[in-house]
Amino acid sequence: MADARRGTVITVFSTASAVGKTLIAINMAAELAKEGYRVCLVDLDLQFGDVCNYLQLQPTYTLADAIAAQEKEIENFNVQAFLTTYDRYDVPFGVLAAPLKLEEAYNIQTNDVKLILSQLQLKFDFLVIDTASTFSEVNLMAMEMSTIISFLGIVDFIPTIKNMKSGNDTIHGLGYDTNKIRMILNRSNSKTRIDLQDVEQLLGSEFYHVLPNDFGTATRSIKTGCPLVLDTKASPLKTELRNLVARYTGNPLEEVDGKEDSNSSWFSKLFR
Amino acid sequence: MLERLSSVVRNTKDFELVARYQQSGDALGQGAMFKPNMILLDIDESDDDASLIEEFTTTFKGASVICMSAKWAASDSETMAGAGARGFLIKPFTSEELQEAVKTFEKTGIAAGSNVISFFSPKGKSGKTTLIANLGMALAQKTGQQVGVIDADLQFGDMSVFFNLAPKTTIMEAVRDINFLSPVTLNSYFLPIAENLRVLCGTRRPEYAEMVDIKSFIEVVSMARSICRYVLIDIPSGFTPISIATAEASDITYLVSMISGTFEIQHMQRALEIFKAWPDYQERVRTVFTRVEPCDTNEQNKLAEALGYPKVSIIPNEYMLVSSAANNGQMAILEQPDSKFARFINQLADEIIGSKTHVRWG
Repeated sequence: MADARRGTVITVFSTASAVGKTLIAINMAAELAKEGYRVCLVDLDLQFGDVCNYLQLQPTYTLADAIAAQEKEIENFNVQAFLTTYDRYDVPFGVLAAPLKLEEAYNIQTNDVKLILSQLQLKFDFLVIDTASTFSEVNLMAMEMSTIISFLGIVDFIPTIKNMKSGNDTIHGLGYDTNKIRMILNRSNSKTRIDLQDVEQLLGSEFYHVLPNDFGTATRSIKTGCPLVLDTKASPLKTELRNLVARYTGNPLEEVDGKEDSNSSWFSKLFR
Repeated sequence: MLERLSSVVRNTKDFELVARYQQSGDALGQGAMFKPNMILLDIDESDDDASLIEEFTTTFKGASVICMSAKWAASDSETMAGAGARGFLIKPFTSEELQEAVKTFEKTGIAAGSNVISFFSPKGKSGKTTLIANLGMALAQKTGQQVGVIDADLQFGDMSVFFNLAPKTTIMEAVRDINFLSPVTLNSYFLPIAENLRVLCGTRRPEYAEMVDIKSFIEVVSMARSICRYVLIDIPSGFTPISIATAEASDITYLVSMISGTFEIQHMQRALEIFKAWPDYQERVRTVFTRVEPCDTNEQNKLAEALGYPKVSIIPNEYMLVSSAANNGQMAILEQPDSKFARFINQLADEIIGSKTHVRWG
């Protein structure tokens, strides 16, 4: 008999803050849920996580409670009891909230988080993990466990790009399969004087996916608590977020069928 | 030792050894005959450093007294400065170190009181690197005293990129070598940026961060006090062992956040709650919001009220100025000294200059 099936883990990571990790993680989770998968969104930005802020959730339990329960009795531990369900738009997915108290967050042990994630993998098709922008022990563990690391960057000014470069080098130096790491550029056409090709050359790899700058739409989504992909209103950012997930899952989008995404044309696919 | 040091002094360019003594009594009684302009005083044998130094500084009014010891201790600085010593050297020293000591101490002498100010941000992307660099410049210009910037944001410190530097020595080497360093030799780990402003850069690669031992780092900070009037430290975001230890060793900690229209106030409040565990937090903890629009007193008051904490400073949003300056390795306050950004940075510098010097050793 085969082993129990373990779900796919997608970690959203970056080396700079405020590049859109949380927004993208939320939308990935929502889009995957919309496609019918069982999805859990995990907030591993332990100290200042924003997942529940963005989704306007008031969690009863958090990761800290789950860990405490797990330590108490591993036998009867049911991780699902510690999730908060997001179902405002009839597309339910689970959320494992970051600890409410900073001291709880500070004292969390990486191995305990790892056990929780393993439990979740048995219950869900997809885990989407939001992170803090640092190579912390817990983030390295999450990346190690990940099927895919979505390494997110923005091109605004030189220091951010330097950090993207050193982060990219570091991730590639960790020994993962190159294919596991997907570089995603957010806010591609924001005002900057830096050329995208130059950045790709510097990083030594191309962006797997490019998300357009749509600050207004993103801000509105944060204000309303509605993930963009569940919003009825069309926007370029929504389309590209959905395209990204479609590329991950391999399920083409019904509505945008035929013109999947212009970055990887059918022509280039012929020659893979 | 006396023989060895004498020969170093003799062999150092621009130095002349005019006299040397084994006993302080002989030096005090006879030394004036040689009209020394510098006295190297070994303090390791004395039971009362302060009065020994003071006897020399009062007897030889025209001379700079540089103390020597086999090891540097943070508490010595206070004693030495209090007694009028001008500098400090670890013995034995080399010619280069002797020359360096003169250069280091000729302007300001060993710092009697200093302010260590660290900059903490809850979540990152706070604008603190820009803030620190410009503030350091403003302090150096206004006071004419030594200002040191330490980039302790270990994984993703931007100071070297910000100033366009390729440092040979960084915080990593300073921490590694701390047991063998004296203020003079530590000084050479800093890179000069402008007159009276220097920076100790962060680690070159994120994984080096692990090599920075916290206890040794705090020793670096306290040694930096004796060569800088102001020490500004960029610390990693969030609560980490190093950010906590550095904040605790600082006289003032600024919590910095950028206004982005999301949850920055909540994050600042949560962070403040932790700092409130300090009995003297009201004196030692202040906040700065960057990219504030409109940047005026009204907005400042609103932020203070929303935060529930009165000590709020504000910095305006001048994205184009700040980002083009950063891209060019320049400082915005120098590129546009009459900008609103420069005005608010200068205001903050005045606030720091006006604050009390704490002597908080170790």
